Amino acid sequence: MAQQKIFGYANKISVKQGESIDFHVNCDGADTAEVQLVQLIHGDNHKDGPGYIEREIDNPVNGTWAVKKQFTQLGNFLRIDDPEKHLKCDGSLSMGCFIWPSHPKKGERQTIMGRFDCLTNEGFAMGISPDGYLEFWVGDGKEIDYVTAELPLIRHLWYFVGVSFNAETGEATLYQEGVLNRYNSLLGPVVPYTLSSHVRTTFRFRQSNREDVPFLIGGALDHHEARGHFINDMLCGKVDRPFLSDRPLTREELDHCRETGKAPASGLLAYWDTAAGYTDKGIGNTVIDTGPYKLHAEGYNHPVRGMTGWNWNGKNDCFRLAPEEFGGIELHPDAITDCNWDVTGTMEIPADLKSGVYAIRLRIGPGTGLAEEYIVFFVRPSKPQAKLCFLVPTASYLAYANETLAFDAQIIQPMTGQPPVVTDIDIETYEHGEFGLSTYNSYEDGAGVCFSSYKRPIINMRPKYRMAGMNVTWQFPADLSIVAWIDRMGYDCDFVTDEDLHLEGIDAIKDYNCILTGTHPEYVSERMLDAQEDWVAQGGRLVYMGGNGYYWCVGFPEDTPWCMEVRKLDSGMRAWAAKPGEHYLVSTGEKSGLWRNRGRAPQKLTAVGMISEGFETAAPYRKMPDAFHRTVSWITEGVEGEIIGDSGLAYGGAAGIEIDRYDLALGTPPHTKIVASSGGHSDNYVLVTEEILYAYAGMVGSLDYRIRADMTYFTSWNNGAVFSTGSIGYGQALPAEDFNGTASKVLKNVVDAFIKDGPLPGGWWTLEEKQWR
Amino acid sequence: MTDTTPETGPKLAPTTWVNPLTPWGTAGQDDVTSVQAPDPRQPWDENTAYKAKTYKVGRLKHYIVWPAHGAKLWDRWRWWPTRRNLLHIKGLYNRKTLKAEKKILDRRPVYWAICLLLLAIAPFFFPESMENTLLSAGAIFGIFAAINVCWTLIVGTASIFSLASYAVVGVAAFLTTWLSANMGLPWYTLPLIGAFMGLAMGAIIAIPALRLDGFYYALLTLGLNELCRVFFTTSSEFGSASGGLYGADTYISDQWEPYAQSLTGYYGAFLLMIASLFLFRFINGKRLGRILRMAPEKREAFAEACGVDYRRARVTIFVLTSAALGFIGGFYAAQFGGVAFQIFSFDTVLLGLAMITIGGIGKAEGAILGTLVVTVLDKVMIDWGPIRHFSIGLIMLGVVLFLSNGYFGIKKQFNAWRDKKRGEWRSIRSEKGGEALPEEATEQDDKDELFFRRFDKMQRDYLKGLICPEIIEEHRRQPLGQHSEALERVCYYFRRAPMEDKYALHHDHAKDRYKIIAFSGKRGVSPRVVDDREYDNVGDAYHAIFIRRVHDLMES
Repeated sequence: MAQQKIFGYANKISVKQGESIDFHVNCDGADTAEVQLVQLIHGDNHKDGPGYIEREIDNPVNGTWAVKKQFTQLGNFLRIDDPEKHLKCDGSLSMGCFIWPSHPKKGERQTIMGRFDCLTNEGFAMGISPDGYLEFWVGDGKEIDYVTAELPLIRHLWYFVGVSFNAETGEATLYQEGVLNRYNSLLGPVVPYTLSSHVRTTFRFRQSNREDVPFLIGGALDHHEARGHFINDMLCGKVDRPFLSDRPLTREELDHCRETGKAPASGLLAYWDTAAGYTDKGIGNTVIDTGPYKLHAEGYNHPVRGMTGWNWNGKNDCFRLAPEEFGGIELHPDAITDCNWDVTGTMEIPADLKSGVYAIRLRIGPGTGLAEEYIVFFVRPSKPQAKLCFLVPTASYLAYANETLAFDAQIIQPMTGQPPVVTDIDIETYEHGEFGLSTYNSYEDGAGVCFSSYKRPIINMRPKYRMAGMNVTWQFPADLSIVAWIDRMGYDCDFVTDEDLHLEGIDAIKDYNCILTGTHPEYVSERMLDAQEDWVAQGGRLVYMGGNGYYWCVGFPEDTPWCMEVRKLDSGMRAWAAKPGEHYLVSTGEKSGLWRNRGRAPQKLTAVGMISEGFETAAPYRKMPDAFHRTVSWITEGVEGEIIGDSGLAYGGAAGIEIDRYDLALGTPPHTKIVASSGGHSDNYVLVTEEILYAYAGMVGSLDYRIRADMTYFTSWNNGAVFSTGSIGYGQALPAEDFNGTASKVLKNVVDAFIKDGPLPGGWWTLEEKQWR
Repeated sequence: MTDTTPETGPKLAPTTWVNPLTPWGTAGQDDVTSVQAPDPRQPWDENTAYKAKTYKVGRLKHYIVWPAHGAKLWDRWRWWPTRRNLLHIKGLYNRKTLKAEKKILDRRPVYWAICLLLLAIAPFFFPESMENTLLSAGAIFGIFAAINVCWTLIVGTASIFSLASYAVVGVAAFLTTWLSANMGLPWYTLPLIGAFMGLAMGAIIAIPALRLDGFYYALLTLGLNELCRVFFTTSSEFGSASGGLYGADTYISDQWEPYAQSLTGYYGAFLLMIASLFLFRFINGKRLGRILRMAPEKREAFAEACGVDYRRARVTIFVLTSAALGFIGGFYAAQFGGVAFQIFSFDTVLLGLAMITIGGIGKAEGAILGTLVVTVLDKVMIDWGPIRHFSIGLIMLGVVLFLSNGYFGIKKQFNAWRDKKRGEWRSIRSEKGGEALPEEATEQDDKDELFFRRFDKMQRDYLKGLICPEIIEEHRRQPLGQHSEALERVCYYFRRAPMEDKYALHHDHAKDRYKIIAFSGKRGVSPRVVDDREYDNVGDAYHAIFIRRVHDLMES
């Protein structure tokens, strides 16, 4: 029997009562799946907690769905819709393009541009041979004839490559010249490489073009019996200003193209000006053809645009300043932002379905392990109903979606101070790679992944999952500990996601008195941050339940808000570093990287910001002297002694994993009080890189006083306030001791006070003290 | 094995390590019995030179390497009508200088051209005294070379161990001679008729090849050869009295001068040989040959499982080649006007075997060189008398004893031998996991890796000294968290290891048990299970990994 596996995703991550949501499911080894709507309460099976809790909900969707095998088109390429077949060159032709190959010796053929069918050998294309040489080939439906350049392409250097094919004589002439300057390539001018190659050969036959083959940049058509047509032989690297002409260009004409980046007008069929159409609000997926037929190209799976081009000279660091220097489009054969599977089932959200965390549970065969799938989504009320809101950090879920650090990152064991614990589902997705990567991964060619979306199965956004590198719950399953706490405490709570906040701004949250964040709301867009700041200033009460939050600046393309973009750069604890000149988000035109480096350190909203991470142990908090001040003493009411959070599902303490610190120098509101702080962190807790100007020995837990989690409180305008825990582990500490631990008590005090209308407790104790002791 | 305490290093001074987290109450273990870690610079002070003697490396550039064309246009010529370039040339960057250089990846076409040219002009340089002998030997060489090229296709490419090649040639020669002599067929029809006969014979002999293999098939074909011999020698129709059958029409007119006759015979045979080489190229170098290279001996079952119909390909080659052999038989008749019984004799088969073995089975150049050597000894060195057969035997013996695939296998054999020797020398000179030696460094493009190996070696030398029962016990009691300096240094090293074969745990949800696995270090390749042993709790499993890593460290 074939192995039974089931995976799926929904077309929405956040859905309102009364709306409908589609589910896309891929299944191996079964034709039908059992469907059950469940409400997710707790996702961690840790022995110190309540265990895994879900509630089956009656709904017409329950029953069985017909499921099937679905295929995923991985990779970036640009597809040109050419209904009038202008690009179907049956005779002479020339093509040219600047390229920056990132994996030339891939061992597989790569197509730079052309109109070619790999299965039937029809058409023409220019590409890179498996051993890294520029090649031009034509196919007549039976055979391929080709010409190969003399010298191999070198990784990460800019070239101008082209071909001139004279159909009358059959002469095909390849053109390859390096165009590296002092800035644009990996190597500089001192390296004695001869990059030129000009090879001519006479072909035995001409191309025969089939009507239905598309012209593609960065790929070629292929076919599979079960799957049908798909795109294969994709390019790793950047392309810039590709063009196609219907006559053989001379060497001098191609020299001119190389020098100017422009193509000769006579005979021109298409010239994709990769730097055209940029705005200061970003760049879309459409690459504009300024040639005679305006055959614009459409990027698939979000090719990375606005990258430094062949003519980038290092002076301008953003595509907004000099668009013409940022015409590079980076293509990756393993990129994926939308699986585009057929819809398997649809569900109408009943108007009376309580706002919360839900999943469609699918089971086939044994119904466990890989034969069980939870497609998670969040239900919002049609109108706000509760005082309390849980702000689901879906942007951060996307950032970590399908991370494989345990498998690929040599640094993960030194960072986490422990060997990873992997499960079957980790191995399965790692082997197949079809569900794409997280922003903690690199593509096969080494470039960091900057786009992540939820239109694909996300194996770590599901209950029961533990992050392999640290063997604790992380992001979604960790946040379920907060959800379970809300449930146990009996609060009425509405669930709003990052996506809602990004799309609707403050309107999405303005009616709530209190917002609880997730355990690790690390990725935020400007609109999300603005909305939260404005809401607090208008009297909202924010409970920042995490660590390392409000850290990375992200963007969402206007037309594809289900896809998130981030660039990691300059400083910060980062999995990769964007290349020079590639620090700006194409979705919005903003500079990415840390919010701190853009003048909006997290301290300005939450009073605390990232200071350290360690992962292998956790510590409790101990009350700080200010905890006894009556402005805040109500927060720790009911806590016996001074220790808070000495139990938990994440390494047995509330302060751990990643922790945040109060810092006036970074914008902690000056009237903030530190209610409690953790201490005694192990030496695996190291100072974060953005804090380091000079590195020196001993920036570790037992030697550096800054390494601690601060629990802080400050008030804002209109009875607004912010309470921060400053630790990822706090959320996982809530279910310990049957939700009765000190961490839970403190949070209950805060939430009880925050959801009430009117002034906050402690507000009267504000006069300058006249101390007797 | 993971439970046993590993070998430990030299005894270090015991010490009680006070956990710096003790005042906070987060220490886990407060006062820990550990050992004093010595100065980590110690191995650097002790290892200031290679233990093995070092030699200068480098290979002198002793021949001209042509530069690449650079900005100049390189017009590539092809072998009409194929898409094959004149020579398989590639441009490469010299790893030492980055200079763009040309490299001829396959020089065989050059050698072929030179050798065939030499054969073509050889008659004009023959000494007058030997002219006749050499020309007739040359004609015999050409025909036998053609036969052997076909035979090597059968034995080499198709892996069918047939000894009936000369039988096919002989039968075709006898029958065409008979037809020509009795029915007056002109000479140019003989090779074609021979080809049909060859085809028919090939088809018949191929049938048992579907069932029989190796030695049994060889015996069968040898029997067939003998059957033909007995049939033709005893049949009066085929000249049992005269030692052969003659009287066929021939393209060499006996009106011509003897020198012209010999010269025509020489070039006729030369052309036949060229034709056989084309046949070889079109069978061995095209689809059929490629199919069979996917199904080498002893790996047929695997190829079959992959969908390669190697049996069909083998039989096709056999039948096609038999037709070619028949053609040669007809040509033989048209060249010499007939044929002797000698063609069926066991000597001929043996000499033929010697020819294809000396050069290397399965290669056209092998068949031709072997034929040349044997023909020269047999037909030119007639003065030597019986010694010449003796020397053929000796050469064959030498080839079989010392060469794995004839003369043209020498290069590959030599390279393999050099690789083996290199492996042996390296294993003597270098330590396992030690620093890279100068000769090893030549193979490493990323020179950073060379320093990593040095650093890693020093680290391991130092850390081996720290392994002792005290730190192992400390780890057992608390695998995660703050450790004594000695243990922490060891753990840092373990955690920083490269991904390949790095240990981790696999958790089985259903059973809630842990197993040790090791990562592949290769993107998309699953980890492997290291040990079937299962652990109930994660702490024990962490410690089991630690013990395993300690073992690996001590063994390196």
